[in-house]
Formats: sequence, structure tokens, C-alpha cells
Amino acid sequence: MGTVHARSLEPLPMAGPDFGALGEEAELVEVEPESKQEILENKDVVVQHVHFDGLGRTKDDIIMYEISDVFKAKNLIDVMRKSHEAREKLLRLGIFRQVDVLIDTCQGDDALPNGLDVTFEVTELRRLTGSYNTMVGNNEGSMVLGLKFPNLLGRAEKVTFQFSYGTKETSYGLSFFKPRPGNFERNFAVNVYKVTGQFPWSSLRETDRGISTEFNFPIWKTNHTLKWEGVWRELGCLARTASFSVREESGHSLKSSLSHAMVIDSRNSSILPKCGALLKINQELAGYVGGDVSFLKEDFEFQLNKQLLWDSVVSASFWGGMLVPIGDRPSSIADRFYLGGPTSVRGFSMYSIGPQSEGDYLGGEAYWAGGVHLYTPLPFRPGRGGFGDLFRTHFFLNAGNLCNLNYGDGPRAHLQRLAECIRWSYGAGIVLRLGNIARLELNYCFPMGVQAGDRICDGVQFGAGIRFL
Amino acid sequence: MCNLPVRVICRANAEYMSPSGKVPFIHVGNQVVSELGPIVQFVKAKGHSLSDGLDEVQKAEMKAYMELVNNMLLTAELYLQWCDDVTVEEITHPRYGSPYPWPLNRILSYQKQWEVRRKMKAIGWAGKTLEQVLEDVDQCCHALSQRLGTQPYFFNKHPTELDALVFGHLFTILTTQLITDELSEKVKNYSNLTAFCRRIEQQYFEGHDKDSSAIAARSSKRPLLR
Repeated sequence: MGTVHARSLEPLPMAGPDFGALGEEAELVEVEPESKQEILENKDVVVQHVHFDGLGRTKDDIIMYEISDVFKAKNLIDVMRKSHEAREKLLRLGIFRQVDVLIDTCQGDDALPNGLDVTFEVTELRRLTGSYNTMVGNNEGSMVLGLKFPNLLGRAEKVTFQFSYGTKETSYGLSFFKPRPGNFERNFAVNVYKVTGQFPWSSLRETDRGISTEFNFPIWKTNHTLKWEGVWRELGCLARTASFSVREESGHSLKSSLSHAMVIDSRNSSILPKCGALLKINQELAGYVGGDVSFLKEDFEFQLNKQLLWDSVVSASFWGGMLVPIGDRPSSIADRFYLGGPTSVRGFSMYSIGPQSEGDYLGGEAYWAGGVHLYTPLPFRPGRGGFGDLFRTHFFLNAGNLCNLNYGDGPRAHLQRLAECIRWSYGAGIVLRLGNIARLELNYCFPMGVQAGDRICDGVQFGAGIRFL
Repeated sequence: MCNLPVRVICRANAEYMSPSGKVPFIHVGNQVVSELGPIVQFVKAKGHSLSDGLDEVQKAEMKAYMELVNNMLLTAELYLQWCDDVTVEEITHPRYGSPYPWPLNRILSYQKQWEVRRKMKAIGWAGKTLEQVLEDVDQCCHALSQRLGTQPYFFNKHPTELDALVFGHLFTILTTQLITDELSEKVKNYSNLTAFCRRIEQQYFEGHDKDSSAIAARSSKRPLLR
């Protein structure tokens, strides 16, 4: 919670206007044992002044919004709670390294007998922070340089720059983030980036150079994102043995798209949640604002979690998506959906389900995937209360299908196509939770419903990632 | 010329589809072979060759002339398209960028131009003026014209790879619209070369018009020799 100091009722010089930066630090006085003690708990209080200590380049108005609630507190417990919430909001802005709260009685000429002063002692982050790492992985070594400018202009704007120089590829990204003062949930960001990716399952190499701008705003319980993205995509073959269908896709294209995403998330955690549900719906329309790639893409993700007896959780999830090319050009391999692997339908090799040509997977225009999981603590609960809590055993049943639809037919024909040739798998394994972002899985899988052309990974499969079916 | 069935397809990304980055390339069964040299080798390995009837001396001579054409005519064509500012601005940039939307058309044209200019600098052509380049083209045509003489093909009765290569370049020079006609004039100075081109065109391309719609499309894009 930070530190809350309650002062005695001794008079002490306190200078400063209602809020603004104080030049000198306020002094602390030790609490002296008083002969009479007042019970402050349910006493009505009025917050008269709020002081800020340690502001440098941060502008006043953004602080005002975050602490406005503190003035509405009616008794001491309320003041403490509202100050704590204000402290959380200030930390969320990402511009302070540390925030301490000090509550004491009001002094001065206009002091009411039940008046309180709240002082926030803050330490701002430095203007520029940098990081330098080396990374090794995927037969490639690279140096990564990161620079961050938090609170650039005083209103919690953030500029980050990341540059990665590798033995094979170079990539970089520059992004500017600005929240709306008073409403951190509303913000916008502009990114400029170049990323390269290698996809051995399709023998494809992709280089994207692009700009994107996005607006985030909450509406009631949902979070919306509106984004425009312009990307210059360059596709190439990863090996001389790439199939001709992949070779045909080589070259340059420009995608300029508008997308909208809606997220409702009531889970208690994004990795191994115990309760709650998640619904994510994403639409993307490309081609109407420039570029030569034209399609409409719909994508959704649904997850439901429920806790059962003995600390076990049952979780069901369902993903689906559809890509409709507009105009007479066929869809590009870079826009299509892929399925399979330790993060989606387990038991199959990475993205190795669906249409393929000579061993290269081309992706599909429509897919669905579903999974049912039962998570239990490790048998016999080793390391309980500590390290052992990061592990869970899980039993799963996954199913999915990926195909190209013939858009001339009606919806009944589409459903029929998606329902035939279903690939599914079941198995069990161990899950390790990494912080609050990622998880590792080691599973033993039995893939079923394998179609000609799919590549399976039956037996032990290892997976690491952020988003799992 | 080998009488093998072939279908010509024009794609905007042909340059990127090719394994070596250069056109032309052929896709046969599972294999993709690019550039004239490897294509000739490939076809030869399958049992078809235009130069079987030549002896060693003639084969060496043919290789020498093919090198001459590659070094002179090809480089001159690239120079004219990418290093001559007027041509670049008015013809090459719009043509090279035409399959792509703005701003990609400008970016790709500039990228290609930078690449070609760098190559010109490496082989020493960057300092040449247009007149010098045209002089070189003239000399090359002179050498070819002398070798051809009054024969129908370079090695008398039957066409060889050299004929195919020379035809390809000369036909392009004669039928591509540029700002000025200087380059095609240089070739037209040699009447036996123009007769040679017309002869090959009539024999191998006009007869096949009904077979391949792509070639018909090609002949509609390019005017026939006048």
C-alpha cells in the first residue's frame, strides 16, 4: 500500500497552494504519545488539500484527474482507500518509479477541525532508459537495443524504440503512446516498424515494413480498439525447394487496412485463469483505403473457465475465423489462417494442418478450433505453497478444421465443408506458468482424424507461448 | 526453336519468383530453372539442343558472341532504362511501378534504380555518356552484322542459342518505345540484322499465334517490325 503516516495535532509550518510542486520536502515529526487520543475511524473528515512532492516535468492537469476522487472521501477509512486507489492510478500511468502517500491533519488559517491534508511523494522515472541484450535462437544470434522515453512531454506520453541486429535479419520498431489525460483507458499509439519472419512450415520468408495507428477506448465493460495499418510486405522463398505455389506468392504487396477489435475479459488472470470468461472479436477490412490487397477478415476467440472441487479448473475454448477476398485477386498466403501445433490443435506439427502443396502449408481461408481442458494440481502436490503451485497437470481434448471455402455456395455448404474432415486429438501433460504472460507445456498427445497431407507430432510435444487453445 | 511445347505467362512478380532474381525462368514439372545459360543446360540434359551440329571451334565462337551480346547489348539496355534521367522519369518509373499501388510503385522503382546504378558503377559504365553507350551498341551490331553476313542464321543453316539471344535483344530494341529512336536507329543501320529479326519472327512467332493466347497478347503489346 505504500506508507501512510498519521501525524499528531501539533502545529507545523506547511506551505504551498492547493496542489502543485513543493520546493522543499515536508518534514516528518515522530508521533508523540498523547494523553488524549481521538478515535478517528468513523469521524467525518474533509480533505482540504492535496500536495504533490517531487513533480518535475509532469504536467499538473494529468495528475488532477487521477486524484480527483480523493476529495470525495468522507471518513478516514475512505480517505485511505481513495488515496490507495489514486496511488494505483498514478503508478499505472507508467511515469513514476515510486509513489508514497502521506495523510495528516490540516494546518493553517483556513484549517477545519476535521480537515486533512494528503501528500503524495513521487519519484519520476528518468527521461531515458535503455537496455541492451543479446538473443540467441532459431539458428540466429542478434543484438537487441531498446530505448524508452517515459513521460516525454509531461502527460504520460511514451516513446519506445527497439532495434534488433541479427546474423540473418534486422528489425526495428518505434512507437509513440499517448493516453488521454483523465482517462488512461482511452489512448492512442502510433507504431513504425520493420519485422522479418521465417516460416519453415510454408518455406516462406516475410518482411513487413509498416505504420499503424490505433485508438483504444472502453465502452461499458468492453474494450475496443480501432486501428489503421499500412504494411509493405515482401514475401520470398525460404529454400530453393519451396513449392511452386509458394513461389508464386513471392514479391511485394501493400496492405492498407482498418480493423476493429472488441475484448470482454472477466477472467482473474490471462494465464491459467480460475474463473471468468473471455470474448475477443476482431474484424479487418483491407483494400478500401489504398493498397493492393483486398479482403474482409473476421476472427473470434472465446474462453470459459469454471472452478471445480479440489482446486481443479475446467476450461473450454473456441476459436474461429473467416477470410473473404474482395475482388478477383486470390487471397495472399500472408493473410490466411493457420492451424495446428502445440498452441492450437495439439498433436500436430506447427501450423501443419490444411491445404498444402509439396509439403508447404498454404493456410486456409476459414477455420475453427475448440478445446476442452481440465487443469488439476500436480498429483501428490509437491512443492505446495511455493514452486509447485506454478505447475498444473492438464488433460485436453482439441479439435479443429482449416479449409478454403467456395464463396459461391450458401452458408449450409460452408458449414458442411467445415464439419467434414475434422482433426482432433486428446492427451495429457504438464503446464508451467511463467509470470503472468506465458506458459510452457509438455504434453503426450494422440492425434486423430488426420487427413492426407497433415504432419503430426504424436507422442511428446513441447510448447511455449502466450495464446493457447 | 527446339519445337518444345511452351506456354508463356506474364506475371508482375516474375522477378521475385525466380530463384536467382532474374527472368526468364521456366517451370517444368517440379523444377524451376532461371536464366538462359542454365535453361539451355537443362534442355540439353533432356536431349534437346540447338548446337549439336557445331564443332568445338564453332561452339567456342558462339559462346564468345553470346558473351559480347550480354556485355554490350544487355548493359546498354539497362543503362538506357535506368541511368538516363529523362528515360527513367518518363518511361521506366511508370512502367516498373505500374502493377503496384502508391507509394509502393515509387519505392520499388527507386530501389531497382539504385541497384542498377550500383552495378553500372561496378562495371565502369557509370561514367559513360549516352553517346558513348550508343557508340558501343553500334560496334556490337557491327560485329554481329559482319558475323551474320548474308547467311540466314549465325551458323548457316540452323538457328542456335546465339540466334535466339540476338533475336531477343534486337527485337526488344526495335520494338520498345523510348523517348528517342536513337537506339533502334543504330540497329536499323544494319539491314541484315533487321532482316534476320523479321525472318525469325515470321518463322517462329507468327505461325504460333493461334496456339498460345499469351503470345497473341504479347504481339498485341509490341508492334511488329516495320
